[in-house]
Amino acid sequence: MNRLAAHGLAVALRTGWEGRILRRATTAEDEETYGVLHLATFPLPEARGDFGAGVTELMRSPDVFVVLFEYGPESLDSPMFAPRGVPRLRADMFSSKRLQRPLPGQLGCQLFFTEGTRPFCLYVVAGSRAYLPRIVAEVNFVLAQLDIVL
Amino acid sequence: MGVLVAVEAVVLVLLTLLVTGLLRSHADILRQLHALGAGLDPEVGIESPVALRPRGDVARANEFGPAHDIAGAGLRDDALIVPVVGVRHRTLLAFLSSGCLTCRAFWEALADERALGLPDDVRVLAVTMDAAEESTPALRELAPPDLPVVMSSDAWRTYDVPGSPYFILVDGASGRVQGEGTGVTWDQVRNLILQAGDDMVDMAREAQVDHELLAAGVAPGDPSLYRRIDEVEGATQP
Repeated sequence: MNRLAAHGLAVALRTGWEGRILRRATTAEDEETYGVLHLATFPLPEARGDFGAGVTELMRSPDVFVVLFEYGPESLDSPMFAPRGVPRLRADMFSSKRLQRPLPGQLGCQLFFTEGTRPFCLYVVAGSRAYLPRIVAEVNFVLAQLDIVL
Repeated sequence: MGVLVAVEAVVLVLLTLLVTGLLRSHADILRQLHALGAGLDPEVGIESPVALRPRGDVARANEFGPAHDIAGAGLRDDALIVPVVGVRHRTLLAFLSSGCLTCRAFWEALADERALGLPDDVRVLAVTMDAAEESTPALRELAPPDLPVVMSSDAWRTYDVPGSPYFILVDGASGRVQGEGTGVTWDQVRNLILQAGDDMVDMAREAQVDHELLAAGVAPGDPSLYRRIDEVEGATQP
């Protein structure tokens, strides 16, 4: 297993998975940015949006793209982030209507949660419904390896 | 006066020793470069097979070794893992640095992906030493925005990279190194990659022929393999 760690996030990945942990540069003096984790079973392009712009169009049917996006502490009081702990996925959480950028055949899943004092969005794009059971199992395995430093 | 002549003689001897040492050192460097397959003239050697072959100075001279995924820091406060094993494509690992002058041509060449002329199944990944041994601001200037760059001294050690620039082609399906070496120009390196691909085709064809011969009951050493053309029934002389 390969281990990826930065910005208080760490994850162990099976071979074949590509991963990046980054933090966008700030554009204003009072702005603060937080960690973003990108995982994929296909080569990630360098130019990509936080939620997969420029990425999902490169996916094939068996592929999966995972985003873990951290929000600032101002989100902690929001009911949207009330669920505690890293969630696990089920196939029925995926829908073509939950995609940031709808593409034929793809399915998306978006979950908000808080781990300790860090609020996150977990966004997963599956390449196709045919491979969904396997994709869900693989992503849940990855999520079980995820370590969020508090 | 005699003392002055003696001092001059000593200085002359010391200078002679210094120049001899420098010349020997220069010759050693040239020999090392030659062993790596790098010529000094960029215009010479494009036609010649420069490298992307097992190095003669490593134990795996007759066989390419297993490959390993690349993990390390990025150039912009990020960390990354790039799998090169267990993937569908091949990966060209370009071991480059910010300090080597020869590397400059490669950083520039890698900026235009379409002009690289690589097969579609080859992905390029630049690998530099860790930030402690590199100049991250200089690398940010040199690295094209679309090129993935990993800073990993571990990768240099794992792949036993002798210096920069150095290139290693990994076959993702087999998880093995397909070829390695260096060059002075991108044209040289591209030729090496194309040659490595041809070698793989030849090896696959050879394996297929062996398989078919064995299926037909023709094992290594079978006398039928050593018959002259005029001994083969139905064969016509050219």
